[in-house]
Amino acid sequence: MLIRVSIACVLGLGLGLWTGERALRQGGMFDAVTIGPWRVSTKAGTAEADPYARAALERSGEIPLALGEGLQFVADADDDGAALDSRCDYLVGPKSPAARYWTLSLVDREGFPVDNAAERYGFRSSEVLRRADGAFFVAVSRQAHSGNWLPIGASGRFSLVFRLYDTPLGATAGELEKSAMPRVMREGC
Amino acid sequence: MKASKAAPRLAGVLMVALGALLVGAIVHIVTVLIVPVLATRDAFARLRPLGQVNATVALERPRPDQRLLPYSDPAVASAFCRFDLGAGPVRVRAPASRSGFASLSFHTRRGSVFYALTDKAAVKGRLDVVVVTPGQLRALTAREDEDDPSQDLRVVATTNEGLVVMRVLSLSPGLYAEAQAQARGLSCVTEPLPK
Repeated sequence: MLIRVSIACVLGLGLGLWTGERALRQGGMFDAVTIGPWRVSTKAGTAEADPYARAALERSGEIPLALGEGLQFVADADDDGAALDSRCDYLVGPKSPAARYWTLSLVDREGFPVDNAAERYGFRSSEVLRRADGAFFVAVSRQAHSGNWLPIGASGRFSLVFRLYDTPLGATAGELEKSAMPRVMREGC
Repeated sequence: MKASKAAPRLAGVLMVALGALLVGAIVHIVTVLIVPVLATRDAFARLRPLGQVNATVALERPRPDQRLLPYSDPAVASAFCRFDLGAGPVRVRAPASRSGFASLSFHTRRGSVFYALTDKAAVKGRLDVVVVTPGQLRALTAREDEDDPSQDLRVVATTNEGLVVMRVLSLSPGLYAEAQAQARGLSCVTEPLPK
C-alpha cells in the first residue's frame, strides 16, 4: 500500500510540474484573443489577468504594455495557420488599425530580437515606405529586399510582434476585424 | 485462474494512476498559483539589482545579445525607477515628447499595472504624478485647503514597493539616442508627508 501511495505521489509530482511548466510556457490561454494570425491579451499585466497569464508573465520577465499605452499583437503563424519558418519569405501589410504609431518587429521564440547583418530588428510606422495610397508592405525574408526589408536572421521558428501605441481600441481590441490588421502572407519557401 | 489474479492487479494499477492524477492536479494548481507569489524571475526581480530605490536607470537598447527583458520594442528607449512608499509619497516626473510618443506605466511589486498615461496627459511639456498609498492619500486630502486644492495627479498603489517604467518611441533609428536621453529624464523623488 505504502509503495503504491509513493509511486502515485512521485508520478503525480512529475505530472503536475510538467503540465505546470508547459502551461506557463504557453502563457495566458484564457485571456488571449485571436485576430487572424495575431494574438492579443487586453488583460495582460492587469489585476484581472488569469492565474496562468500571471504565472507566465512572472516567468518570462516581460513588462507588458499597459492598455493606456498601447497594444501588443504576436503572430507565430501566417494567414493560413502555418508556423512562421525562417526558410520562407513573407509579406506583411497593407493596413493597420487606428493608432498614433505602430511598430513591427521580429523575435525568436523567447521574445528577443534575432541577430542579422543589417542590424534591422523592426520597422516603425514613421519610417516605413508606403505606396501612394498609404498602403505598406514589409518583406520578411532571409534574402535582402528593396524597400522595407525585415531580415529573419538564422533561427528556425520566429514570431512577429505588432504594437500599436496610443490607440483608441483599448479593451475593445478583441472586436477588431481581421481585415483591419496587417496580413501575414507567405510568398514562397 | 489467470483472470482472477489479473483483476486485482489491474485495480491496483488503476488506483495508482488515479492517485497520480489527483496529486498531479494539485501540484499543477499549486505551481501556477505560487509562481507569481515567489516572483523570483519577474521584471521587478530582474531590475532590482540595477539600481537603488528612486534612482533612474536607463535600460539598454533591446538587441539580440541583450536578454534581460523579452518582448521589448527595439524602437523604444526605456528607463525605470523603483519606488518604496514606506518613507512617503513618491513624485514621478518625466519630460514629454515634442514629437513621437512617450508613456509612463506604474507596476505593483506583484507585476500588475495599476496606472498608465501617455504624453497626451502632459502639462507644460511634462508628466507629473504622485504615487501614494491609500493611507497617504487620506492624510493628504485631510490636510488640503478646500478652496485651493492641490493640482497634483495622485495615483494610489496597492503595494508599497513598485516600479515606474518610462517608454519613449524613437521615430527613426537615427533618433534613438534622443529618445534615450528623454527616457533618462525620468525622475522619482520621495516627498515625506508634512508633519
